[in-house]
Amino acid sequence: MDEKKGKGVSRRDFLKGIGAGSVGAAVISTGLLDTPKVEAYPTETVTAARGKSTVNLKVNGKSYRLEVEHRQTLAEVLRDEIGLTGTRIGCDRGECGACTVVVNGRNLYSCSQLAVWMQGKDILTVEGLAKGEKLDPIQQAFIEHDGPQCGFCTSGQIMSGKALLLRNANPTEAQVRRALSGNLCRCGNYNREVAAVLAAAKAR
Amino acid sequence: MATKEFSVVGKRTPRIDGYERVTGQAQYTGDVQLPGMLYARVLRSPYPHAKIVSIDTSKAEKLPGVKAVIHSVNTQVPWGSGGLTQKRMIFNNPVRFVGDAVAAVAATNRYIAEDALELIEVKYEKLPHVLDAAAALKPDAPKIYPKGNLSVGDGRVTAPIQDQWGNLEKGFKEADKVFEDTYISKHVNNAQMERRVSVAKWDGGKLTVWASTQGISNARADISRDLGLPLSKVRVVCKYMGAGFGNKNQAQDYDLMTAMLAKATAQPVKLEFTREDDFTGMHGRWASEQRYKVGVKKDGTITAVELNAITNMGAYRKQSGDLSGCDFYNIPNFKKTVNPTHTNTVVAANYRAPAYPQSVFGFASMLDQIAFEMGINPYDMFLKNRAVRSKGKSEFSSNALEACIVEGAKKIGWNEKWHKPGAAPGPNKHGIGMALGGYPFRLGLGAATIRLNRDGTVHVIVGVVDIGTGAKSTMAIIASEALGIPMSEIQLTSGDTDVTPYSIGESSSRTTSFTGGAVIAAAEDVRKQLFAVAAPELKAKAEDLDMRDGIVFLKSDPAQKLPLGKALRRVESEIIGRATTNPTWPEGIDGKAFAAHFCEVNVDVITGYVKVTRYVAAHDSGTIINPLTAESQVKGGVVQGIGMALTEELLIDKPTATPINPNYRDAKVPTHLEAPEIEVLFVESYDPYGPFGGKVVGEPPITPSVATVANAIFNATGKRFKELPISAEKIVQAVRV
Repeated sequence: MDEKKGKGVSRRDFLKGIGAGSVGAAVISTGLLDTPKVEAYPTETVTAARGKSTVNLKVNGKSYRLEVEHRQTLAEVLRDEIGLTGTRIGCDRGECGACTVVVNGRNLYSCSQLAVWMQGKDILTVEGLAKGEKLDPIQQAFIEHDGPQCGFCTSGQIMSGKALLLRNANPTEAQVRRALSGNLCRCGNYNREVAAVLAAAKAR
Repeated sequence: MATKEFSVVGKRTPRIDGYERVTGQAQYTGDVQLPGMLYARVLRSPYPHAKIVSIDTSKAEKLPGVKAVIHSVNTQVPWGSGGLTQKRMIFNNPVRFVGDAVAAVAATNRYIAEDALELIEVKYEKLPHVLDAAAALKPDAPKIYPKGNLSVGDGRVTAPIQDQWGNLEKGFKEADKVFEDTYISKHVNNAQMERRVSVAKWDGGKLTVWASTQGISNARADISRDLGLPLSKVRVVCKYMGAGFGNKNQAQDYDLMTAMLAKATAQPVKLEFTREDDFTGMHGRWASEQRYKVGVKKDGTITAVELNAITNMGAYRKQSGDLSGCDFYNIPNFKKTVNPTHTNTVVAANYRAPAYPQSVFGFASMLDQIAFEMGINPYDMFLKNRAVRSKGKSEFSSNALEACIVEGAKKIGWNEKWHKPGAAPGPNKHGIGMALGGYPFRLGLGAATIRLNRDGTVHVIVGVVDIGTGAKSTMAIIASEALGIPMSEIQLTSGDTDVTPYSIGESSSRTTSFTGGAVIAAAEDVRKQLFAVAAPELKAKAEDLDMRDGIVFLKSDPAQKLPLGKALRRVESEIIGRATTNPTWPEGIDGKAFAAHFCEVNVDVITGYVKVTRYVAAHDSGTIINPLTAESQVKGGVVQGIGMALTEELLIDKPTATPINPNYRDAKVPTHLEAPEIEVLFVESYDPYGPFGGKVVGEPPITPSVATVANAIFNATGKRFKELPISAEKIVQAVRV
């Protein structure tokens, strides 16, 4: 007879560890290490499976002050705490890109970023693209070129496309493919997504 | 058969829900957030075959935040759609594959639920197991079921699956040459982007399930049956879903687990799969071993085909396990025997055109090889043997397969580009290949309701779920065309069993035909009522009226007209049209969509890397209701086929029977970098039995794609690869530079 509980190290455990580390890093940057007394160090327990911190997140031009668990990813906080569910989670392990958001101008997998790392950073999600009723040219192009099939990867494709256009207003087709290569589309709608980003570049 | 002049049908129409899909507003099942909602996770078996001796949940239950733990001891709920030939429960004892569900936990957040899984102590007694399907059929193999490992039929499905016509013996006698060979395909996962998820909530005795399903009506019927609830007490909602690709037109075990956890806790529950759960706990396309015997005349004409095959269904038989790749050829004498077999591996079930791409790979490779050995150009081989009759006797309701072959070959430049296999010099070898495919075009049960408001706007109410095909848009287009009212006036309500009428569900490429037919009939009902009201105003008889672009007019004198708004002034509230339709084929007629695919590849024989450089997909799908979304379907099916041809395979570690690549990266699904530009060609075609002449689009594109790539690799290298995937390793080993 055998007994078996969990299976090895899960991604959660791994992130828990990283999360604890990042709390330390955040403390260093505040300069507290310079204080002579050891007691002055923060007393928060670092095992802190359920440890919480307050972070300020700048999302789509709005500031959010939130108490988040250290192990909560940016994707989870955007979706579950702020209610911006347009950022989808496809794999939750940094492979598929459905959760892509733009942070300080770069496209990042939000499932692989802890919310506590995002203090003070400028986060753009798919909900932040349109100006009121007016869609961003890349969104308009995704509609016209049938970018979404099931649509689950679409937010991520759009955000990677947006990040590319922010740094390169006139990309070649090869550059678009490369820039979106971290965004899987199981519907296989790659031709459409590339065409949409190229059209959006022309429309600007 | 010329295509009629249509107002909307055949125009490139952006999706009616495009705005929701590009702004993030579309609400997928995982986006449903309810007050007080708990999160659930599933514990899965680490063993391929084991009896559960005991389950101790005491430590898990003590973890703060854990609200309920359910398992095979405290929760015995049948999962009717989980096994066609055996009674399957949501938790089974014994467990029969690594990934079989053992328990589920609901907790106040998903972290606690995951932590709790690790605190559940399960004592297993290991049983002997078998992973390989051929080995499982040997008499001394460990038995997964008392009757053995050949999945036996129970009336809904048969085993072995057999089909035959003509006279096989006579056919082989007529042959000048007989070829025999074996082709092998592997288990690949649907890998839809949305992880499987379910949300359940009870209001008194009524259960609402937000499911990620292709078929809300079937899901409701399954839940009702499995939980012993009247249909009126089950509501299934699915507004957007992150792709189907098969085996989602029913209730799944996790829907039932979620309902049971919600009941146990009296709180709403959201159960989420991890990506690994999705790869190991559900299903993928059935692997197969296909033995062909093919008789041909000197000129390449097929005289007889015999197929003996084994399909690996994993631990439970959820679907047929059939192989239908011979469907696209004219075979006068035919016999097939397919043995769906149980093993202690991940369950195999429907994945886009379930019985086709693996089987087309086998048979079209076989034909390509025969052409080579007989010195015939593959183009001539496929053209000569293309299907002209269904199963050797029935007429097709429409058939433009010849045009697909001819026009597709012209577009890719077959005559100029084809060369003798392996003739390309150097380590970078160019190849070109082709194959035929398609999918059954079926007729059947559909229902629709259309409300015409007093201001001339329209609600189309249908039970379809748009899994990404554009079905909602297709239904709106069909309604607009059938009513004679512009698209801008059409609203569509779908995906909620409390509101929408029955739908067969979006599987087997049936929505356009089944529900589309009902939409047309409901529109005719609306028009009849409207014309009765408008007739006196135009001093005409109702049957002499027509409507187009929202203008009611006299057929014999279109200048006698009335805008819809005016016609509706005499209507007090609204006009409601309804229809339930259920057409069947007349004796001797059968329906099919067809395709001929062509591609060019570059094979680097030093690295084994295959790049599909050009792809032409020619399709006969009848009238194309919306070319924009239909082209996307074709492009997507081809990309999935390229993955299946070159890289995808669920690998199982033999000693532990554990899948070792249950994630996107290691399963190697195609990315932007692997996808060529796919040129889509819809040949002129009109099917008199389809809505506005339309047939089937969703599943045909994947069917010939695997074989097309495989045949192009043969043309490049001169080596025949008989086992999928045709990976870089296999190419490097086979081709010595």
